[in-house]
Amino acid sequence: MLKRCTSCNLPETYETIEFDDAGVCNVCRQKEFKDKAIDWSGRKATLDQLIEQYRGKHEYDCIVPFSGGKDSTFTLYHLVKEYKIKPLVVQFNHGFMRETLLKNNERTFKNLGVDVLSFTPNWKLVKRVMLEALIRKGDFCWHCHTGIFAYPMHVALKYSVPLVFWGEPSSEYTAYYDYKDNEIEEVDETRFNRFVNLGITAEDMAGMIKDDFEFDPRDLTPFTYPAMAALKRLRYRSVCLGSYIPWDVKKQVALIEKDLGWQGEQVEGMPWDEYSYEKIECHMQGVRDYIKFLKRGYSRVTQMTALDLRNGRITMERAKELIGTYEGRKPPSLLIFLEYLGISEEEFNAIVAKTVVPPFKPDFNAATAPKTHDFDKWYREPAHQQGIARKQMAGR
Amino acid sequence: MIGILDLGIGNLRSLSNAIHQNGFDSQVIKDETSFADLSHLIIPGVGHFQPAMAAVVDRKLRAPIHAYVATGRPLLGVCLGMQLLAARGTEGGEVDGIGLIPGTIKRLTPGAGYRIPHVGWNVLMTKRAHPVYEGLKNERDFYFVHSFAMVCDAADDVLGETDYGGPVTAVIGRNNVVGFQFHPEKSEVNGLKLLENFCLWDGKC
Repeated sequence: MLKRCTSCNLPETYETIEFDDAGVCNVCRQKEFKDKAIDWSGRKATLDQLIEQYRGKHEYDCIVPFSGGKDSTFTLYHLVKEYKIKPLVVQFNHGFMRETLLKNNERTFKNLGVDVLSFTPNWKLVKRVMLEALIRKGDFCWHCHTGIFAYPMHVALKYSVPLVFWGEPSSEYTAYYDYKDNEIEEVDETRFNRFVNLGITAEDMAGMIKDDFEFDPRDLTPFTYPAMAALKRLRYRSVCLGSYIPWDVKKQVALIEKDLGWQGEQVEGMPWDEYSYEKIECHMQGVRDYIKFLKRGYSRVTQMTALDLRNGRITMERAKELIGTYEGRKPPSLLIFLEYLGISEEEFNAIVAKTVVPPFKPDFNAATAPKTHDFDKWYREPAHQQGIARKQMAGR
Repeated sequence: MIGILDLGIGNLRSLSNAIHQNGFDSQVIKDETSFADLSHLIIPGVGHFQPAMAAVVDRKLRAPIHAYVATGRPLLGVCLGMQLLAARGTEGGEVDGIGLIPGTIKRLTPGAGYRIPHVGWNVLMTKRAHPVYEGLKNERDFYFVHSFAMVCDAADDVLGETDYGGPVTAVIGRNNVVGFQFHPEKSEVNGLKLLENFCLWDGKC
């Protein structure tokens, strides 16, 4: 049995978690501080100043990195509606965007009237680095973590736009940055190296894959954090909107649904009626959540109910019921993922087994979750392209 | 342009790298001819008070430094470079300093159990607000290497102290002049922040 927070039910295998004498976790304590002790009207005034400081001085007032999920959609909506800001929307396409998301995005962009750049990295390289990150960290999403946070900073430099607005601060769900420190979470290289990049820089990754994989070193540029000197020369600021206004996911989702026609979606392994708004942007989300369950004994149902428990929007009994019913089931998309990487489920299980976080002990024989309605539309790698094309070794 | 004054007494490269990291251009200068082009002037320094002050006198820099300060542009002294700003030094016999801050450079006397020089990370306790402290939390660690320290005549000139068997002047400031006894260029993120703040400072308090 994993030890769990008496308040939000997050388990001891959760990243950065600590429990106090009452058995309440540090993420819950942060949330109490957020609600009671942060001067949100003062923060709002700081935001007003920040926006005015940069308004009208560059080709765009700011960059908004954008996936089309609930947080970035709300961020863009809020900045455009409340501040009449002129943003450059920058989308890093991880390769697994779903149809509902793309339609949401189109509606959002047209409704708000914004300029948008979309960038998709080299798929062959992405497959190789997914495998490497899976083997080393039990987290195949390295290209997405690093690309999402590094690539928009390259765009900031290319367009000389110093202000970058992200959405949700990490203090909402982990303690890498603690609300109790009462300072603005700078989304910078320190944060990138602290938890975004899994401890693997792009330079590290190049060294890890170079012996068996042919690539141009420039292929890794989108995943490389730009030089501090260049960003400082721009006098950049890269911050979360949620550091200036109190983040409230459910309220914000209701707002973008009403005003932008934003739609939720079925996500593999989740209770679709209760949680249709979280992580709809990626058709590999089910595999990510499944691996998380195998490693740590909890998954997205636990995380979502933890947020609702903290906000007093669900009972512990109902949370446990949802977790018991939905969590840990094998996603149908696992098959697609294995085709991408060219590995068997046994090989996958052996890799994941090495990254399990004690004291959790995984069961690899879970029942399968149902397919989402759009499963058949997800990209399948043709048979002759499955797996990773390895470099011919010299002398063999 | 940020000028780094080369008195032949060391640590220019680490300082210019730290300034580059902060997104500013710097130039090493050896005499007063380019003072007019500078937005900011930094006097670094590692070594002894007397030969360093002799270099200031030999290069006829004392009056130009005073003239630069009179224009209101910011001046920063680092370590020995800060000590040179004092009215007088006592290292190797009494000698006049540049004389921008009333005070004397005296050997540390921390008492039994404390080694001289004071080498390593130590806590900066800020005494009052200043633009170079913008965004810096109190009681952060900075890297010190010194055997002498400034004793200011006016308590108000002391912006920060550290404790080494008693209070030791760590940051001084008067109008558009500031000085750090520690090495900001070797003090990681907090040191870089101080240097960035200095480079952004207009010299007004």
